Amino acid sequence: MLSCAVPLDYDCLVTRREEVLPGVVKIFFQCEGIAATALPGQFVQIEPSPGTFPVTRRPITINSLTDDGFELLFDVIGRGTELMAVMSPGDTVRVLGPLGHGWMTDPGSKWLLIGGGLGAAGFQFLKDSVDTAAILIGASCSDRVIPLDASFVVTEDGSTGSRGLVTSLISEEHLSNADSIAVCGPVAMMEAVWKTIPEKHRHKVQISTESRMGCGWGVCDGCSIPISDGGYKKCCKEGPVFPGTDIDWKRWKEAGL
Amino acid sequence: MSFPPNIKRKFWGKLFDSPIMLASGTAGFGEELLNLNCLAGVGAVVSKAVSLKPRAGNPPPRLLETPYGLLNSIGLANPGVHHVLNHILPETSNLPCPLLINVAGESVEEFADVVSILESSNVHMGYEINVSCPNVADGGAAFGVDPEVVLRVAMGVSRVTARPFSVKLTPNGGDMVLSAKAAVEGGASAITVCNTFLGMHMDWRTGKSIIKRKVAGYTSPALLPLVVAKVWQVSNAVSVPVISSGGVSHGEDVLQLLAAGAQMVQVGTRLMRRPFAGAELMDEMKKLTGE
Repeated sequence: MLSCAVPLDYDCLVTRREEVLPGVVKIFFQCEGIAATALPGQFVQIEPSPGTFPVTRRPITINSLTDDGFELLFDVIGRGTELMAVMSPGDTVRVLGPLGHGWMTDPGSKWLLIGGGLGAAGFQFLKDSVDTAAILIGASCSDRVIPLDASFVVTEDGSTGSRGLVTSLISEEHLSNADSIAVCGPVAMMEAVWKTIPEKHRHKVQISTESRMGCGWGVCDGCSIPISDGGYKKCCKEGPVFPGTDIDWKRWKEAGL
Repeated sequence: MSFPPNIKRKFWGKLFDSPIMLASGTAGFGEELLNLNCLAGVGAVVSKAVSLKPRAGNPPPRLLETPYGLLNSIGLANPGVHHVLNHILPETSNLPCPLLINVAGESVEEFADVVSILESSNVHMGYEINVSCPNVADGGAAFGVDPEVVLRVAMGVSRVTARPFSVKLTPNGGDMVLSAKAAVEGGASAITVCNTFLGMHMDWRTGKSIIKRKVAGYTSPALLPLVVAKVWQVSNAVSVPVISSGGVSHGEDVLQLLAAGAQMVQVGTRLMRRPFAGAELMDEMKKLTGE
């Protein structure tokens, strides 16, 4: 596992804001510290607004790095992301990062990326950092397919690519060509992908998790992910990326996170 | 007491430049915050709860943010006292401030058992005895609402340690003043006022709580007046120092709690938003008082 830089709390300048899909926003932040230290799969804890409320930050995966900072791509799903979505150029925002353990990347490893909807946010950074064999993306409709230069895209309603689920794109050829397999998306989608992948390839699979999060740096024990030995691991510190074999799918689904 | 209150405090025979303690469960054992350089302005750290046996904690989700606060249902997750003693406490020896170990028990005897095992460590200053967790089935807050039980727990702890200890009480049921007096009678050297308030989030579509244990512990900046009132009541009723816990997000809140009778002031949920809250609160207080 790569060693991680000590996270710092930065005041970052918002330099650009784009609505990439309806309700999906990409925001560029100037922050040389994070640009210099972040690894793919890591996240930041961002203050959604000035003042006291909401009382926690929002954990968002780094979508990609820029020359002098980083960009976040997120879906407006609640009050925090609603506040974040109206951030505009010139705003200064408090951001703690980089946090967590991202994708475990071995030099020379060839990657297969499998993403579900907005879960593919963050793949840009991985794609920019590793040798990618193929990118398979599934989404509900074209409004949920983020720009990524994917090799294959399917949607549930057929509005982009053919009609179907991302599991239909997974072939023995894709799996055999990859040394590492990155999976990110909703829990049900990731479980379906895991079940589709034959036993002999499962050791290559890494799962990017998410959870309701408190601190983001390993102290509050709020973001636990159920793991296969019956216990829990912290999404924020031991994750957010875990080996697929670590995940207890049944208990994780029950959590309804 | 003089007003405005002094920021420098005397507590348990020691001078503290800062009245701020990091509340149990929001700072680990301090070592993570040390790595983040977050302990500037912090007077003392209270560890997460330590129990005799390892506790996996409650099933997720363990946190639920509400518009003005945070519900938590962690369930005293911790690796157990032996692991803490052998593997975690040695890592805390370079903390720049004193450490209090928060102790949980499933029976009256277990509090003293955990404390006596921890006695072989010399890294901590004292203890906080947690008779008030709302998130566990076995014990937890049930201990704290009964002054008889609080007395027995405190007496048990007094017998096995010469170190000072605070008893952390619950605001949920019982008479906190009576429980505080019982703790002091049993040998407590401080009272922590108080643990989280019982809260719940109801999904009106399904009639279910998202939190698996249904009810949870609620924290919020909006609790400040409730904590101020309880600190004022308890500090007027007991001879030992009161440590406040709850409601702090700004330096002015800390000053208010000190003026109400707190000797030290814990900050918890604020750290989720501002990991460097210790230094920030100190700066705000110094600006306000000119100290």
